[in-house]
Amino acid sequence: MEIEGTFLTKDSRVTVIKLKNGYNLSLNNLSIESMALISKHSERAGKIGGIEGKGKTVHLIGTGGTIASYVDYETGAVKPLTTAQEMLYAHPALAEIANIDADIALNIFSEDMKIGDWVEIARKIYDKIGDGEGAVITHGTDTLSYTTSAISFLIENPSAPIVFTASQRSSDRPSSDAYLNLLGAVKVAQTRLSKVAIVMHSSVGDDRLEIISGVRARKMHTSRRDAFRSINTSSLGFIDRNMEIHWNDYSEIGNETMKLYEKMDERVALIYYHPGMGEEEIHRMLENKNGAIIMGTGLGHISNALIPVIGEYVSRGMIVGMTSQCLYGTVNMQVYSTGRNLLRAGVIPLGDMLPEVAFTKLSFLLGNFDHDTARRMIAVNLRGEMSERRRE
Amino acid sequence: MKIGLEIHFQVKGRKLFCSCPGQEDRSNLGTFERRLTVVSGENQDRDLAAIEEAMKGRVFQYIISENSCLVEMDEEPPHLPGEETLSAAILAAMMLDCKIVDNIHFMRKIVVDGSNTSGFQRTGIVGLSGKFTHGGKSVGIATVTLEEEACRKIAEEKGRVTYSLDRLGIPLIEISTEPDISSPREAREVAEAIGLTLRRGRMIRREVSSIRQDLNISLKGGNRVEIKGVQSLSQIEKVLEGEIERQNSLVSIANLLRKRGKQEKIVPLDFTEGDLFSGSALILKSRGEGKRIFCFRLPHLRGLLRSGNFRLGSEIAERLRAQGIGGLIHSDELPNYGISQEEKESLFSRLKCGEDDAFGIIAVREEEVDKAMGIIERRVAQAYEGVPAETRAATENGTRFMRPLPGSSRMYPETDIPVIEVNEKFIEKIRREMPAGVEERIEQLVSLGIPTQEAAASVRKEYDDILEEFTREFNNPKLCARFLSTVFSTEERDVEAARYIMRRMAMGNIPLDSVEPLYIQREFSLPDGRKIIFEREGMRLLLEEGGEKREIGNDFRYSTMSIEDLEAIIDKVVMENSQTVRERGENSFKLLMGKVMKEARGQFSGRDISALLKKKIDSFIRKGGS
Repeated sequence: MEIEGTFLTKDSRVTVIKLKNGYNLSLNNLSIESMALISKHSERAGKIGGIEGKGKTVHLIGTGGTIASYVDYETGAVKPLTTAQEMLYAHPALAEIANIDADIALNIFSEDMKIGDWVEIARKIYDKIGDGEGAVITHGTDTLSYTTSAISFLIENPSAPIVFTASQRSSDRPSSDAYLNLLGAVKVAQTRLSKVAIVMHSSVGDDRLEIISGVRARKMHTSRRDAFRSINTSSLGFIDRNMEIHWNDYSEIGNETMKLYEKMDERVALIYYHPGMGEEEIHRMLENKNGAIIMGTGLGHISNALIPVIGEYVSRGMIVGMTSQCLYGTVNMQVYSTGRNLLRAGVIPLGDMLPEVAFTKLSFLLGNFDHDTARRMIAVNLRGEMSERRRE
Repeated sequence: MKIGLEIHFQVKGRKLFCSCPGQEDRSNLGTFERRLTVVSGENQDRDLAAIEEAMKGRVFQYIISENSCLVEMDEEPPHLPGEETLSAAILAAMMLDCKIVDNIHFMRKIVVDGSNTSGFQRTGIVGLSGKFTHGGKSVGIATVTLEEEACRKIAEEKGRVTYSLDRLGIPLIEISTEPDISSPREAREVAEAIGLTLRRGRMIRREVSSIRQDLNISLKGGNRVEIKGVQSLSQIEKVLEGEIERQNSLVSIANLLRKRGKQEKIVPLDFTEGDLFSGSALILKSRGEGKRIFCFRLPHLRGLLRSGNFRLGSEIAERLRAQGIGGLIHSDELPNYGISQEEKESLFSRLKCGEDDAFGIIAVREEEVDKAMGIIERRVAQAYEGVPAETRAATENGTRFMRPLPGSSRMYPETDIPVIEVNEKFIEKIRREMPAGVEERIEQLVSLGIPTQEAAASVRKEYDDILEEFTREFNNPKLCARFLSTVFSTEERDVEAARYIMRRMAMGNIPLDSVEPLYIQREFSLPDGRKIIFEREGMRLLLEEGGEKREIGNDFRYSTMSIEDLEAIIDKVVMENSQTVRERGENSFKLLMGKVMKEARGQFSGRDISALLKKKIDSFIRKGGS
């Protein structure tokens, strides 16, 4: 039989063509007798112009991820947004509430993000918000809370809000959460919030957005829109269906000078303790490291058998902090003898700080301060990453 | 006239992309709200249909049902389709003589009316280029696709639509024919015949709502119109006839319009504060709601808006309504709605209408007037062309406007599901299990002694296998056919109960004519006043005699006659017909059986009677007929 369509791709197994009715047809290469060229497909030229927005200026910075893609229906390809104009074009509603200054910092999957990228992003944000206008950074969801935490530490006293947003459903889909998340993020970036925040869905519906501190957020679901939760503290606020912001915890930008730190120590380990973990494993993970965060069990424990090994590393100068796999609640190493043994070995309890936050914080401290200062500051609240009171 | 069919069948089993059961489920475990947005890539042509829907700016509310999970909520990526579902779709394609694709490639077809939480319907071609022969005519099968069913619409109000997730994701097999059909009647026949053929595959859900047809129709010189949601076969003809009439009248209107003159700009004038319409409750009410009344000349449209077969007025009005703007009042329908003949005449002159001009009146909010005029101008422009390409919804006996016809551009690959390879081995396995065609199957049943009509009914209702089984076990094709047709016309269709009753009848425990009553009423009165009761729950038979009940055992004989009585009857019949028996020998059995049955019916099983009669005839002949 004869089939007519637009040639899309060919690999070692199949040839894919797009039929006139829009369907893709994947033909096994072996089942194709012959192919003939009917005419050449010419891609229509892009028609993206500058979009004039109205309202307070917001810097939009892309780093890649699910939020930054669109579909070319002619070929059916989902393309990443590679230029700031494309990004604006894909989100025209933004122009209705803000004058958008768009820029692309990176274009990578967030799981591919490296520690050096955090510094890169921090520098970009620092340069942008120097004018006092807030920034919205789009990012993949997978490692979003690592980045927000790192940026929280790297930029001290931001002179404008730094708001991250992302999406769990890619923006090529009509049901994408990207549109609402972005709008909400822009709204927050137009305030005087003095923190790094994440704006994402509060529930599975499109009727409420949560504003979560960058050092308190965690992705708690693999796929739901409301995956991001504020852990161990209430969220900073929420945005209702009419796009009105309601604050729970609002701290306004003061007169302090903004400061950018440009180093992160890459030699920090994050250890997820599990029953049966042996000494050798510990050695492998801690070798050549300057610091380590342990995700212990319960109130902050690991096997007693491993404590002497850890103690040895501490005595050689390594900073070792303890967080909990439970995420919810604080570590408390006074309750059981194991905890007390860990304390005696020099392991520092990190309260209700999230493990990933502790990890980026230690990397930040070791990168920018001397060892003793870093050891002292790891358990001190710097950006709201830990608290004395918990209500749930 | 060219008519094509798109027939959708819901497939039995689990949902297409998750493990939820595929059924309608009225439960309500909570709701959530969503909006949908469509943005295209670098080229500006967002799909026309998609825009039109999106313009409505609606909020969609979804009811979470017991048989839905995060996949239906668009909160979890789709799972791989089940093997049984894939087999069903491939089987359907084979039965329609399609070429099976090498790989099933699921696509996302953009649908922004909220009926899919994702904003698209997942669909993949399974077979293409088939053909279906019906009544000597061959109809091409363009494609057989496997796709997901949409949500069930619960309610619609301004700016808000409520859907239930229960139906979303039920597998659908869509069969698209080529436009090879040339009359409404043929369309119905082909739809029916395709349905019958697919039922042979045992993959279609039995519920009434599980089959739905869309129709494509174009007349000579007109555009293609797609008609959605024809629920029954009988509706196909009515809808098509109504649509043909509509399209014919649109073609006539176009011819007339082109003669009358070019389209002109339509200029709305504000008549809110004027002296007119004081007698029209309709207009006064709109005015009370803060709407403004605009009147405008409709050049060359007099008599075309509404008279005879012409209904351009309602064509315009349904476009306005689809955009949430109230209706249109036009001069062809006046005087009416409390607007007098004098007011009509006055408007003709104030709007400077020529003799072939009509006028229209709308009541809208000030900010909506440009939008409304745009809609009217676009529809009038199309009237010069004839039949606009659009998607319409089936009504009782016609169609109504839904949206412009979508292009083919709104599809892109579903990246969450890998391309599924359909290997030769899998195809062969399905091919081996391919059932006989409808006619072939009916012939098979008829050859077993089943009457043609009952054989056809059993195929249609998918109990032909059971009928064959019964016939082979009980060796009485007519009784089995009649009994099962009764069983399958009831709600329960309790085949096990039917089988049990038949078995007990064959054992001689109950009379032949008690079979149906026992199944339906669960009791049967013997001629002597005793009553047989069938307990369906425990699957047992009871005999009620003098107010006492006892279970009917396997050795029970319902007869009050003794076997000697029966022998006496048979002897008498044989003697009375001795001449015939002598002449015809064993062939006299049928005649004698009838006579014996007249006296012994209801007393012994037919099998017992016939055995004894045969014996008696034999011995009569052996003895030399004396």
